[in-house]
Amino acid sequence: METLLELEEKEDEGGGIEQKELSPQELLDGEKAVNINITSPGDTPFGRTKPVNLSECPSAYHHNSPQEKQLLVIADNFSSQYSHIFPSRKPLFLCPLNECGVKSPVCLIQKFVSTTLRSTMLPYSGLYDWDNCASFVADHLVLQALDPPIEPPRRLISPTLLLETQTGTCFDVSTLLCSLLLGAGYDAYCVTGYAVREMCLLDQSRQECPLLVGEVEVQVEGTSAEDERQVRKYAVKPPRELRSNFERAQQELKEQEARAELLRRQQEAQRLQEELERSPPDPLQGQMLHCWVLVLAGKREIRDHFFIDPLTGKGYALGDESFLGVEALWNQHNYWVNMQDCGRGCSDMEYNLGDTTMWESVLFRITEKEEEEELEEEEVWSEEPKPFEMPRSWVDTIALSKQDLERRWPGGSRSTQYRKAKLEQFTPYLLPDGLVTRLTTYTDLECEEVDVVREWYQNRLDHLEERELQRATNVTIERFSPGCKLKLKTHSYVSLAPGTERRMDFHSGACPDGLLRRVETPGQMEETFDHRDDLLYSRHVFYARSPEGGSQEPGGRPLERVVERFHRDAAKAAREDVAERVFLFAEGSIEVTFHLEDDRIIPVRRSFVKPRVLPDGQRAESWRPGMVTGYQGDPHEDPPKNVYLYEMLTALMDEEEKVALQIKHSETEVREILATREREESNPELRISIYDTARNEKVQRYREDMIRAQEESQKQVKKEIDLLAPFLARLGDPEVLSSQQAQKVLEDCLANQRMRMIEQDQILQARYDKETQALQHEQKRYQINQLNMSKEEEERYHAYCSETVFKIGVIKQRQSRHKEITPQKHLALKEKLIRDPRLAPHL
Amino acid sequence: MIRLYGKVEQSVMDEKILQEAVEEQGPKEEAGQISKEEGISFNAVLQLRLEYKNILKIEHLWEFTSLTKLQLNNNLIQKIEGLANLTNIKWLDLSFNNIEKIEGLETLTKLEDLTFYNNKISCIENMDTLNNLTFFAIGNNCLGQLDNVIYLRRFKNLHTLNLAGNPLAQEANYKLFIAAYLSDLAYLDSRLLNGETKKQAFAKYQYAIEEIRHNELQTLKATEAEQKRQEELQQHQEAFVENLNGSELFDSMFAQDPEAQKLNQLPGVADLVQTFKPQLVGLCIQMFESGFAEQKLREAEVKAFLEVLQEAVREKQQRSAQLVSDFEKHRKKRILDLKQVEDAAKEEAQVNQYMTEIKTLCDSCLLLELQLVDQLEEIIKDFERNITDMVGSFIETVQGIFAQCRDLENHLHEEIKDIAMATLEKVAKNEVEDNLPDDVRALFVDKETVMNAVGASHDSHMLRIDNREDKLVTRINAWMMNLIKKIQDEEVWRNRKCISEIQYFIQHLRNQLEEVLHQE
Repeated sequence: METLLELEEKEDEGGGIEQKELSPQELLDGEKAVNINITSPGDTPFGRTKPVNLSECPSAYHHNSPQEKQLLVIADNFSSQYSHIFPSRKPLFLCPLNECGVKSPVCLIQKFVSTTLRSTMLPYSGLYDWDNCASFVADHLVLQALDPPIEPPRRLISPTLLLETQTGTCFDVSTLLCSLLLGAGYDAYCVTGYAVREMCLLDQSRQECPLLVGEVEVQVEGTSAEDERQVRKYAVKPPRELRSNFERAQQELKEQEARAELLRRQQEAQRLQEELERSPPDPLQGQMLHCWVLVLAGKREIRDHFFIDPLTGKGYALGDESFLGVEALWNQHNYWVNMQDCGRGCSDMEYNLGDTTMWESVLFRITEKEEEEELEEEEVWSEEPKPFEMPRSWVDTIALSKQDLERRWPGGSRSTQYRKAKLEQFTPYLLPDGLVTRLTTYTDLECEEVDVVREWYQNRLDHLEERELQRATNVTIERFSPGCKLKLKTHSYVSLAPGTERRMDFHSGACPDGLLRRVETPGQMEETFDHRDDLLYSRHVFYARSPEGGSQEPGGRPLERVVERFHRDAAKAAREDVAERVFLFAEGSIEVTFHLEDDRIIPVRRSFVKPRVLPDGQRAESWRPGMVTGYQGDPHEDPPKNVYLYEMLTALMDEEEKVALQIKHSETEVREILATREREESNPELRISIYDTARNEKVQRYREDMIRAQEESQKQVKKEIDLLAPFLARLGDPEVLSSQQAQKVLEDCLANQRMRMIEQDQILQARYDKETQALQHEQKRYQINQLNMSKEEEERYHAYCSETVFKIGVIKQRQSRHKEITPQKHLALKEKLIRDPRLAPHL
Repeated sequence: MIRLYGKVEQSVMDEKILQEAVEEQGPKEEAGQISKEEGISFNAVLQLRLEYKNILKIEHLWEFTSLTKLQLNNNLIQKIEGLANLTNIKWLDLSFNNIEKIEGLETLTKLEDLTFYNNKISCIENMDTLNNLTFFAIGNNCLGQLDNVIYLRRFKNLHTLNLAGNPLAQEANYKLFIAAYLSDLAYLDSRLLNGETKKQAFAKYQYAIEEIRHNELQTLKATEAEQKRQEELQQHQEAFVENLNGSELFDSMFAQDPEAQKLNQLPGVADLVQTFKPQLVGLCIQMFESGFAEQKLREAEVKAFLEVLQEAVREKQQRSAQLVSDFEKHRKKRILDLKQVEDAAKEEAQVNQYMTEIKTLCDSCLLLELQLVDQLEEIIKDFERNITDMVGSFIETVQGIFAQCRDLENHLHEEIKDIAMATLEKVAKNEVEDNLPDDVRALFVDKETVMNAVGASHDSHMLRIDNREDKLVTRINAWMMNLIKKIQDEEVWRNRKCISEIQYFIQHLRNQLEEVLHQE
């Protein structure tokens, strides 16, 4: 009662309030009083998703141990004194009821909150760190709001039950989270206090979706890294601008005004927007009760104290505005009541729990620091009674199945409303198309106008990772991970029909022709390449406008011109390295532009007119030098030889044919990709790892087959040899045995066995005779030569004798055993033969 | 007919043969016709085949400078000559001739494939420069010395060798010897040298091979060390402080001064010189270090300047190129329009408009160029001023240090003079030690001789210092002048080239326009 005494002293100083010790009888009365409250019709049983058989709970759930009873007395005393000293403060949340005894109100069980904490470490590495653990708890459970929201719940259910029902109040959820964190080695506490309405009711509809917040940050980082310019010693002066300074000043003035106006308008709009978004005033501001988790620094390399909201699983700094006040906090060892003023939120609070002016504890308990000092003095004070220890938790071990961990959300899915966004999450493999996350963003606050729908997929066989649908333009963007069979990286389109606008990005290095991007617009197609041996990086195709409003078959679209661009090839001279070539199919000519030489501004150009070709492939006209025109570049250089130009033209004409083929090929490729995509989309398949034995049917089947095969092979070994086979063979293997034959077979078989038995007996007898004869012979020899035998020989004789005697003994044993077994064997065989399906009908 | 009787009609490699060969082996069909009309220039021919022509002497090939493949097999050639100009040649076939000696291939450094099959060569030699050789056939010749093959070790890329039919191929250990000495060879006499053969060969000739390798390594190391030393000296020369990082100046001062050696024998002088040396060397090293630091600064300065210069030029070039390409986009349409217009007045208007456009293009390009010239002129002036200042300050520093050197020398001179005077007095009083050599003693006949000797030594030392100083100052000034001149010249050249390009292009456009009008 050390604690109590201390508390009393303190209270004496505080105001000299009368103290009153409760007898156990009174305590019992109090319990009864509470009982009545609990059975009141306003109390609804918790929203259970699964039927839970409470009677199966261990006895600790139904009964209080003597220690627990003592603890309850202490707690009740503390509570009554507290309410006496601080009549204005709310009653403490100390000893709620547990889940047992709903059906039989007579044996309702009160449990002290600290004993409901069951420090447990779950065997999953994914739950070892606080953030993962907290987000799992938040995801796994459904909140049951407090009713009324300003009163603590009457009942605190055990974490084991909570994991089964997956539904609980913030107190239940905090208890579970705190248990797991304590198990993982954190210095964690449950905190009860006051928070803003949004937090208590898990209303995130005014918050930005965390998925969207991340994106904005990334963009900001990208822009900030640009401004870096080294200071240079030399700089060219910009050319002088011949403009009036006055005019410029006027212009600037005007621009400034316009800018100011724009800014003002923007601010105004922003202000309006904010006003619109502001939450309606809360009548219960500062009174809404909440329960959350506090993690103190010191263990698991935590540097600063912080809060965790168990409903969202997010960590908050201590000074966060969402937390309005702290009433009390507890862990598995003790319960501390806050003595500090929380008028201005929790930002100024101290968490030195050993300081009694700030924290009043229910049990007297030395903090760890003092413990060391105490150890030295212990011998002196050993006579003092040991302080009361918190009894061990009444809760059973918390267990979580792997399926539950994987399923994560209750029922495998959850939908959360954020500001202008809705987030839906699904367990992998839950949906047949592999959808795991869907984020819908809206343009308005009421969430009516859909802006963008983004969907994330997992384990898709077609490697689809993300799909984004922009409602305004109706454009769909699909993103694929590397390894996609179609080599696609992203694909944006309006419809999957060929010939419409689209843009396909391919994974770098995946396509053998180095294709990186293909953009299609009406009448055009542009392909971009990378790392090609011929240094081509872009091919832009312009289709001719079809005379009758566009033909249906896109493969047949006539080409108007094709523009190909090349990178500079360092191995060639610039004036001979093609930079761009344009095949003008419609005009029948080819234009080639070469790369610029180092300090020139005008590139060398050549334009070739193709010789006309007759329909049968013959040239209609021979080549003349006039067919090539162009700009030569260097006036001092000799004009190129005609042969050179002619050969270039021939090469270009060959290239032109190839290019036309290439384009055809690209068109077919597009059609194939689209067809494949459509097929994949209509029947999505999921990829299942071969290590995932639960889902992979093939592996499972394979394993079953293996087991079956093994069993069969064992069976085959066991299968006995057909005894009748030789006898049946003697009769010529008849299909059906006649009665006579059957009799004969039976007799033969038995006779045969008898014969073999006799044979065996004879063999044994022969061996016996041989050994005894040999022994006798040796004995005789010994007797005759006994006198003139050397010691060695004598020894050898003795050894021989003992060995032979042993052998004879063994043979005798075997003979007797043989005799014993023979009739048994005979009987067994007879029985077996009689039961044989081939003989049975005749016997 | 003549062949039948064992006599061969020898032919001469004249222009006609060459022309025929070139035409015969040149482009075919329509291209051939075109090229024939136009005429083929020899210096553009890439391959030439001159086989079975009974050629006695290689002549008239100097014009075929871009030739990469030349086949002269099955002729009567006796001497390799006249190939010195064919520097691009990669493939040379001289098989089935009467060559006796390898020669005249020194300039053909790109040669990769060389065939001397069936000749009368008795020694592999004169091929030191053919570093790219990968294929070498010298079968059916008169090679007798197996050791001669070791010559081929220098060709690191050689992987095919043909030696069959030579006397040396008869030797018992022929194959193993070659496999051992030419360990990178892949094919010998058209057969693969497999790993086992190479192993055997190596086992047999291990010691000899290792010795050769060791020697080669030594030579390689020596050459590398020499190269490194040369590079270092080059660096020092670029900083204009070569040979100042040691006692070289001191050595040169005393080495070529007979008087100093004599005076050195006097008591006390050697000590003086010994204290003088580290002081002078210290000053030299000071100069050396400051020279290097200054060179770094100058390099950075030049780099910064050139960067800005190039960037300005590039930027202007891009802008002009943009102008031109914009113009080009419209040009085609204009020409087409012009061709279609029929009304004379309209045509006139269009022509005028086109002319104005050309003029505008020309003007804006020239304006950009002019602006650039102004800009560059300014920064070049800045650079000139800066670099002159830098060089000036460096020269000042160096001169200061040289002045200190002179002071040191003067000081030394004074002290030596004192000792000399003292010795003279001693000699006069005959108190001098006996160990003084006679030639030194001869100095001390009278005061004048002594003073002359001391003075001459001093003057010679001063001269050395002055020379070194002059050398440094002259060289650095020359470098600076060259640099500035080069930059200015390059700028002028760039400017002229650019303007001529614009003019040429404008001319080209006008010609084109006239052509179009003319056609109509």
